[in-house]
Amino acid sequence: MIAQTLGVLASSDGVAWLLAVGPVSGVGLYWMLFRFYRNTDKSHSYEHETLVTAEPVTGDDAKVDEIKGTKNDEIDGRNDQQFRQRVERVR
Amino acid sequence: MTDTGDRDTSRSVPPPTGPGSPQDVPPEGFPIDPETLPDPIREELQAPDPVVIDTESKELSDGVNRCPKCGSTDVDLREESGTLVCLFCRNEWSGTKVEEAYGLGEGLEDLRGTVIASGAQEINDAIDAVMTLKCGGCGAEVVVNTTTELTARCHWCRHVLTVNEQIPNGAVPDAVLPFHISREDAIERIRQFVSKRQLFALTKFKREFVPENVLGVYLPYMVVDGNLSSEFWGQGEIETRQYTRGSGDDEETYYDADIYDVRRQVSFTVDDLTLESSAERGSLDTSVNTNNIINTVLPFDTKNAVKWNASFLQGYTSERRDQDVQELMPTVENQMLSIGRSQVMGSITGYDRGVRWTQEKLDVHGTRWVAMYLPVWLYSYYEPGRKGGMLHYIAVNARTGETMGSVPVQQWKLLLAAITTGTILEGFAIAIVGATL
Repeated sequence: MIAQTLGVLASSDGVAWLLAVGPVSGVGLYWMLFRFYRNTDKSHSYEHETLVTAEPVTGDDAKVDEIKGTKNDEIDGRNDQQFRQRVERVR
Repeated sequence: MTDTGDRDTSRSVPPPTGPGSPQDVPPEGFPIDPETLPDPIREELQAPDPVVIDTESKELSDGVNRCPKCGSTDVDLREESGTLVCLFCRNEWSGTKVEEAYGLGEGLEDLRGTVIASGAQEINDAIDAVMTLKCGGCGAEVVVNTTTELTARCHWCRHVLTVNEQIPNGAVPDAVLPFHISREDAIERIRQFVSKRQLFALTKFKREFVPENVLGVYLPYMVVDGNLSSEFWGQGEIETRQYTRGSGDDEETYYDADIYDVRRQVSFTVDDLTLESSAERGSLDTSVNTNNIINTVLPFDTKNAVKWNASFLQGYTSERRDQDVQELMPTVENQMLSIGRSQVMGSITGYDRGVRWTQEKLDVHGTRWVAMYLPVWLYSYYEPGRKGGMLHYIAVNARTGETMGSVPVQQWKLLLAAITTGTILEGFAIAIVGATL
């Protein structure tokens, strides 16, 4: 098991990843601590903390195409969870 | 040049006509029958004027809030119960909840047009912030600057005078939510918040940290109800196959997926969406200010807000509203679209590769606006620096106790910790690489 792990690490990709550990963890620690002290990422979560009464959601779905053999594990430009990201407004 | 002589002014002359004359009165209504016009124009013309809910406390319009039992004007807020207490006879009484008095929690699905409570009316910049109150006790005139104060004590007879008239300068809202968290409680919460953030805090901040300097502030907000419909268009993908190609180091994962055009529509009502109604507080740019800290302690239990009575402000400071309904409407629409997007989230979980929304639409059927003062305990610290430095806030929601803050950091300590950790881990990484090559 250890020999197998060392084998993976010895590959060129593995070495590059391993050597990136230092800078990545340094920058990551800086941002984590900065946010913990300054809380610059915090704001009122009005999407979840406001009293909303909604009627049942309606809509439609139509298959229009297929993708074969993409390496991307999710749709390009996914934004279904970025509620605050505005897209083209239809009037 | 010929002298034309004196004119006979006694002669009766026909009344002047033409633009600007008294005859030039705008016609009543619209000159064309709206029924003959296209639908969008007709709807705009026939839309009702904004409805106003009159929330003015007329019983207090003389500026004197008397104890109902003994008539004294020495009235103060009792934080534990959120009631007013007479400092003379200790009688306690509570305010009328605006939600119940004006039916603000009802009929959201029937809201049409823009309904504005009288305390949220348009601000008239020409109105002077300095008011003169006539003392109900002795008749003396007392001057109050409504930008910062809404109560004053008569310097002759010691009566307490309060500004309760809804002057259109944004100083008097429709409702107030009294302080509930005590000053001692707020101090303890701020102390605890900072005690967890000591190691990398600015040394000067730690040395000068005196939580007893916390200030009780009533901040201006607009509390908005809405009846809306939203619609979203985009594409979603469902994975149909996952497989790998190559082997060893070259092994890679590939996916096949079906692509769908997706449309979702949802109608909803929103109850008490709360927005900052001061332009300065509403600016949430974390690169130049820490207003996001005050924003984070929302929401408040706005259902318990009571009819405006300046006596609730005794001992606290307040900030005046400077934003009107029209100025806040884009923010409301933006937040309503976000709420709509979160509402349709549950209906797209089948798209395991996610959805990319590309278009969105919001129909605002009706909104109702109420201006409120909401209570916040605020500790502030000014950190000098480039571009005017930074004002750091630690805020405590004076109803729920939710605490949030910005503690200034000692940059060199933070950098040293990051570089040291990075160097140690890099040392391990190099050792492992050296051992395996």
